[in-house]
Amino acid sequence: MDVSIRMVGLASTFFWILLVAFFASAAYSVKDLRLNFEKPQLRLTQEGYAVLSIPINIENGGFYNLGEFNLTTKVADLNGTKITEGSTLIPLIKKGAKIVAFHNLTFSVDVLLEKGSHYLFNDSSFAVAALISVKLAEVIPVQVSSNFSVAWGAPFYNFHLGRPTFEPLNFTHLRIAVPISFENHAPIDVNGEISLYMYNSEGKLVGQGESAIVAPQGALYTSSIVFYVQMLEITEEGFFEVYLSTPFLSYGPLVFPYG
Amino acid sequence: MKFTFQHRFFRMGRWCFLMVEEDKNTRSLARELAFKAVKALLKSFVFYMLYLFVWSFFAQFESYVPGLRQTAENFVVVYLSLGVFGDIFSDTVFQCLFNVARALFVMGYLILSVKNGVFNLTYMGVALTVDLRFFLMAAVLLSLLGLAKAMLQAINYVNEKAELPFNL
Repeated sequence: MDVSIRMVGLASTFFWILLVAFFASAAYSVKDLRLNFEKPQLRLTQEGYAVLSIPINIENGGFYNLGEFNLTTKVADLNGTKITEGSTLIPLIKKGAKIVAFHNLTFSVDVLLEKGSHYLFNDSSFAVAALISVKLAEVIPVQVSSNFSVAWGAPFYNFHLGRPTFEPLNFTHLRIAVPISFENHAPIDVNGEISLYMYNSEGKLVGQGESAIVAPQGALYTSSIVFYVQMLEITEEGFFEVYLSTPFLSYGPLVFPYG
Repeated sequence: MKFTFQHRFFRMGRWCFLMVEEDKNTRSLARELAFKAVKALLKSFVFYMLYLFVWSFFAQFESYVPGLRQTAENFVVVYLSLGVFGDIFSDTVFQCLFNVARALFVMGYLILSVKNGVFNLTYMGVALTVDLRFFLMAAVLLSLLGLAKAMLQAINYVNEKAELPFNL
């Protein structure tokens, strides 16, 4: 009986040491786990989707492999309406491994604009809910979640038309120049076209002009759209309609009265 | 008269003999107790050193988990106390009682401190959830093994005591 009791005691001690050593080393390994999010990159697909790609650097310097690393993000507008969500799963990160993974968030710009052109002309922010889950030593599940907001830079921030100038071209026609300006606060360059339609007070189209836009990221864009109209059709009051067209979005009309 | 004197002398001698025997027993008991106490202290010291070593792995979480060190130290103090009492009262039925108490304490403390095995913590807007159910399950199983050992010890002790008159 004494021997069996002693053996039970020995087995118990041995397994306790194993358990505590494993748990302590797994917890200590967290110290050597590095997770860095690099600067996001925005690219456009041919189908009219914008893909926000966030590079993630993972360095597992711990004693054990990491299992089922999963990053899930949900992006919503300030009203809480879901815009997009994305998930990245890495089944196994071996010990000592350095991995670069890309977390992609795909969203349709058109759908975004349907929900509010506010984002086109005004800086704002999005609510992001991020959840990271991983199995330490492939056994201990750990979840980290956080809610934060991400600033949104409007591609046509402070878009406005200046005071149009009228110059007589000949006895029948006028040359009209309409200054336009905006700031590109978006994280991408804005290249595209602006179309401007001029209507008189009776709602009749009297002239139209177009201009190419080349607005690098963070730049102030100023230009003028020049077009010609018949003098007789011009009234003291009327309005302009502006259409914006870029590879990833088409928006319009924006109405600006004149006179 | 002579008989009475002899009888008294004999009784006195016997009393002296008993006194010497009792003194010897007391000294032997004290020596045994001192030995057990030293043994218990040494074991506790080694265990505490081990605790300090293991704690060094968890020290990095101390600033994130409020009360972690206090919880661990409370556990160690009670565990060591029960161990010391068990060692001092070794070879008695109380040792079995203290061993059972220690095994039950380990189980109870783990279950109470880790609750359902899912540990939640919020730090600077980041919510952390650690699922310790695997660890808890293994620890409870090992505690049950410790409890089984303590029960076997108690049965063995009672068994040995029961066999004693027949051996005489």
